[in-house]
Amino acid sequence: MSVQVAHSQHPDPYAAADELRTTLGELKPVLVLFFASSSYGPDGISAAMKNAFPDSTVIGCSTAGEIISGSMLNNSVVAMAMDTDTIQNVHADTISLKSPDFADDTLSRLAEAAGSTPISLDPTRYVGLILFDGLSGAEESIMERIGDLTNIQVIGGSAGDDLAFSATYVYLNGKAYTNTAVFALIEPKKKFDIIKTQSFCSLGKKLTPTKVDAASRKVIEFNGKPAAVAYAEAIGVPYSDAASHFMKNPVGLMADDEPFVRSPQRVEGDAIYFYCQVREGVDLDLLSSTDIIADTQKMLEEKNKETPIEALINFNCILRTLQLKQEGKDAAYGKIFSNIPTIGFSTYGEEYIGHINQTATMLAFLK
Amino acid sequence: MAGKIKKLIDSLIEQRSQGNASIATTTRTKLLLKGIDVKKYTEQSDDDPAVINTIIQVANEMGLNLKV
Repeated sequence: MSVQVAHSQHPDPYAAADELRTTLGELKPVLVLFFASSSYGPDGISAAMKNAFPDSTVIGCSTAGEIISGSMLNNSVVAMAMDTDTIQNVHADTISLKSPDFADDTLSRLAEAAGSTPISLDPTRYVGLILFDGLSGAEESIMERIGDLTNIQVIGGSAGDDLAFSATYVYLNGKAYTNTAVFALIEPKKKFDIIKTQSFCSLGKKLTPTKVDAASRKVIEFNGKPAAVAYAEAIGVPYSDAASHFMKNPVGLMADDEPFVRSPQRVEGDAIYFYCQVREGVDLDLLSSTDIIADTQKMLEEKNKETPIEALINFNCILRTLQLKQEGKDAAYGKIFSNIPTIGFSTYGEEYIGHINQTATMLAFLK
Repeated sequence: MAGKIKKLIDSLIEQRSQGNASIATTTRTKLLLKGIDVKKYTEQSDDDPAVINTIIQVANEMGLNLKV
């Protein structure tokens, strides 16, 4: 049995949860993970999911679109249920996003429940899964603090609200939260892997932020020039066209040739606001987009060859989803995951080591 | 004077990773995301006090004690 996925497009949260429960049949999950459209009221969907799976740890969040094996969906709820064949143990709790210090308490409690301390948790045995209120702007500071506290890998995404940018929610055991993250310390039964994929290559041009307001995710100057002017020059387009290149030409922090993408959001004055923090003095590479479908397919085929994947949780950036829809490739993207039990959602930011953009971070449970 | 920054970074990574190559790689990425580009510093890099302070602060946040 092990892992099963299901989805429902019933508009009533209790009917949707019941449909999921019925589809998932006799499985007795220790962990149920769900991602629900913001068309569902937060209190209703969280309560309904816990009601349907009273004996499981039930974790979820609101989305900007859902992913299930074979399809990208909207106005739905998708769920993955895992029993003891897949998950040995799971301990979950909330982290208040008012201060990074709240991560200390939560991680200590969860590690203690696993008979350990955060720094002593074995990275080959445990993985952290985190879901953020996607409008909190707190992802960087919390992820950095978690990275200070532990060596386990932490992966996740920022909740969405179908591009309303009004309110996003995380869910734990029947309750709905804002300005909060849900953190699950998971001990898989078998091996697991983290997949990080972004479809960009470096253009070999550097933009160094020389004046930033990190807290507001604003770059005032690149290379000593007004940020938007320097960006337009680097791309080789008129200043007035700069913003139209943001989606296909973001910038990236390069770690061993692997970009950690920082996506520009808008120009205001001559400054550029980003979807995540940019640090002063740290070089960024100008990137150019490649083919999301081909890149994702190739990466999954390679991973599957190494060790077959039993199930996949996909945190896929909303900007990737928008690009796929613009190019008429969203159906093709969903089909990539047809043969792997998969759920996911379109996020307002992805988490892996830190907070990143225009990336898909995935947790793969291996056979 | 030169080279202190590289020594401090190497010591931080060594203390944190305890010889585990995978943790060492992740720690380098954590430092990059915190604004410390490990690749930029060599034995010839000037001992910039601001950068040294930042590394010591990051080490403290990680629960490590670096000898300056």
